[in-house]
Amino acid sequence: MSTLIIALVLGVFFGFSLNKAGLTRYHKIVNIFRFTDMAVLQFIMTALTVAMIGLFSLRALGLLTFPNIPATYVVGNLVGGLLFGVGMALTGY
Amino acid sequence: MRSVKNNMKTILDYIHRETWSPYVAGILLGVVAIAAVWLSNNLLGASGAFENLAGMIGKTIAPKAFDNLYFNFIMPPGITYGVMMLVGIFFGGMIGAATSGTLMWGKKGATNSDAQWKRIFGPQVWKRWLLAFLGAIILEYAAGIAGGCTSGLVISGGMLIAPAAFIFMGGMFASGIITAWVIYRRRY
Repeated sequence: MSTLIIALVLGVFFGFSLNKAGLTRYHKIVNIFRFTDMAVLQFIMTALTVAMIGLFSLRALGLLTFPNIPATYVVGNLVGGLLFGVGMALTGY
Repeated sequence: MRSVKNNMKTILDYIHRETWSPYVAGILLGVVAIAAVWLSNNLLGASGAFENLAGMIGKTIAPKAFDNLYFNFIMPPGITYGVMMLVGIFFGGMIGAATSGTLMWGKKGATNSDAQWKRIFGPQVWKRWLLAFLGAIILEYAAGIAGGCTSGLVISGGMLIAPAAFIFMGGMFASGIITAWVIYRRRY
């Protein structure tokens, strides 16, 4: 139960950051693929870097363990990614 | 005292801004992602929640059709961690828009408000809905195949340095660039 509340609260901050970074707008998403607006990429890469440093440091300190990482199955990941890009450029999700 | 007050004002002004620096927003998301692992040993995600919900609806409407490996074990139906997070994302996005005064809920033209979209596809609302619906089917199906979406795979997987995330990213950018090129052609 408490983890569900944590999920809700984290989701609020997640959605908030997405909105402020402009990911809720169609043109922001499409323009990465047109190389005219790289804000979304900067946003994702910053988040990745911060999360990587934080998580690997905390694990090194023994404060947390990693959950199961998303499964690697090359064909599925690649085909999914290829399809996903089409949808992404169409909808601006 | 004075400087504390000024600092508070600076922070509040920043919250009211429509778009943040992607670096600041990215740091916020990074911290949220760390918190998810630390507090609940879970990852951020969005697309899985739709499958949990679809499974729930499917199991009540057509229990036979949904009684398979995928909906029993891989994506079990129910109010999961992901579903709660999805609800949070929805309201978080609304709060974000409300703080900058750009919340379009119930306003005129809210369903087709993006200037660039209108320039490319036209002002018709039904077109916006149709393309969003079809595109979303592609998105959700693709996320199902790959095992995640931009949040569940690129961010959650990438931060744990999962190979799947980077394979997915490569595919996503390759086809995204091609699709955008096909749509925009000379205007690219």
